[in-house]
Amino acid sequence: MNGSADTSGAIGGKHHFLLRRLHSLSGILPVGVFVIFHLFTNAQLIRGGEHFQHEVDFIHSMPALLFIEILLWAAIGFHAALGVVYTFAGAQSNTRYYPHWDNWRYLLQRITGIVALVFIFLHIATLRWRWDLAGWYTPFFTLGVTPEGEVVNLAGVSTAVALQHAWWVAALYLVGVLSVIYHWSNGLWTAAITWGVTITDQAQRRWAWLCGGLFAALFVFSAAAFVGALTLTENDQNTHEWRAYRYMSEQRRAGHVIDLHGKRPGDRVSVSALPDLPSTENESDG
Amino acid sequence: MIAPHPDHPPKTFRIRVRRQDGPQAKSYWQQFDVTYRPNMNVISALQWIAAHPRTADGKQTSPVVWDCNCLEEVCGACTMLINGRARQACSALIDELMEHGSTITLEPMTKFPVVRDLFPDRSRLFNDLKKVQGWVPIDGMLDLGPGPNEPPDTQEMRYAMSRCMSCGCCLEACPQYTLTNHFLGAAPIGQARLFNAHPTGAQLKEERLVTLTGPGGVSDCGNAQNCVKACPKDVPLTEAIADIGRQATVHSIKNFFSGG
Ligand code: SF4
Ligand code: SF4
Ligand code: FES
Repeated sequence: MNGSADTSGAIGGKHHFLLRRLHSLSGILPVGVFVIFHLFTNAQLIRGGEHFQHEVDFIHSMPALLFIEILLWAAIGFHAALGVVYTFAGAQSNTRYYPHWDNWRYLLQRITGIVALVFIFLHIATLRWRWDLAGWYTPFFTLGVTPEGEVVNLAGVSTAVALQHAWWVAALYLVGVLSVIYHWSNGLWTAAITWGVTITDQAQRRWAWLCGGLFAALFVFSAAAFVGALTLTENDQNTHEWRAYRYMSEQRRAGHVIDLHGKRPGDRVSVSALPDLPSTENESDG
Repeated sequence: MIAPHPDHPPKTFRIRVRRQDGPQAKSYWQQFDVTYRPNMNVISALQWIAAHPRTADGKQTSPVVWDCNCLEEVCGACTMLINGRARQACSALIDELMEHGSTITLEPMTKFPVVRDLFPDRSRLFNDLKKVQGWVPIDGMLDLGPGPNEPPDTQEMRYAMSRCMSCGCCLEACPQYTLTNHFLGAAPIGQARLFNAHPTGAQLKEERLVTLTGPGGVSDCGNAQNCVKACPKDVPLTEAIADIGRQATVHSIKNFFSGG
């Protein structure tokens, strides 16, 4: 953060201003709105796996999901790339002699941006792309199948497994999600200055109350999801799901991708065919 | 302001100075023990050092160089880092500083090239004020007549903006303003607001906004809001930045739809 690169004034040349404003816009609209939505659906976890499953199925049933996903990737990629450049080219934090709250807020915005970027990457790599990161392997399945061939809902259990993998995964999620919601609510506050919406001190303070309220609400949502995921353990009602999850993971680890496309919970699939299924990627179970 | 030791004033106090013999030279520290007199400020301490250029360990040295002019906190020339923070040396009272410790540290500002010792070269700031055309255009062949009337609330806002003395404290405190980048910083943005709000000065508004939406313009502000806290003249800099941000938004949208 102490780089004094000579480029900061010139990033983007004559499109400098446009890039900065698009950076602001891309952070608030696509990314921010998605994050609110995502955290709200997650909060359903505290009401149990079934409610959460309902939300997940709803998202998966949205039209043009691929388009939405591409749009989000573009927005996150653009926002993150520029953000990293802005953070490391030419900002000199000086909270030592200017220890004002706003100055800490400014520094935190940059730190949480980087933390959020790392967190989002790991989150997607493990749950969406199902990477195996040195044994941290927690793929996300919406549907699963037991070794006996019963199709069951797995969204809740998948999330629970992800967070219960190790204490440091839970810690990473806590810090990561806090960073995301801080970065977004503070970004919303400063964007109002950047775009010239809030001008006077009083207006900026009023807007700060609103953004603070949003931060608190998002915090409550994510705390609910967090507690929900950590407390969702195996019991008499859901042993099917847990067994299905373990079975799916083993198969997946062995390179077998089980195609449950078009299946619904309660359906039965032929068990004998399962372990030998060819290893093909498919999108419908993530 | 209560003197620290009304009954037993100290005989001397210590000043640590970060010195630099020329623009390219490396900086080094020297300490001086200055004889205390009541009501001293940093400038009179520096004057004492100029008259007694001997370090605390007894070595003869060159007098410390600094800049000053008005001696009443209106010109900004004597701005330096006093115990780490940018402020005017002429209004920094020794009694007050000694309430926080008996050694006072003086350094040149870090966001401007150093000419020598505590004397910075603030030309970047003056150039940036030219870039935003911080003036009202009245040159010409014709008598323009009396100036237009200003509504009282505009007067009030403009008065606050007009208190800027180009000292550079806001730039020194700004995390986005560095020695080598091109950010205009808070003071020129404030002056653009001052002259954009003047009925005649507004003739140059669009030209100012072209500069302010260019590289190093208002969009480089990161909203740390140090500037407004560091400003000794209480110029409402963050309001100026937001206002110029609004003007820039309107300017660029207008340009998008009807610009050349
Ligand atoms: S508000 Fe902007 S100009 Fe002022 S100190 Fe912060 S970054 Fe610098
Ligand atoms: S705005 Fe304030 S701190 Fe900045 S140059 Fe002017 S008087 Fe100094
Ligand atoms: S000498 Fe003018 S402000 Fe200090």
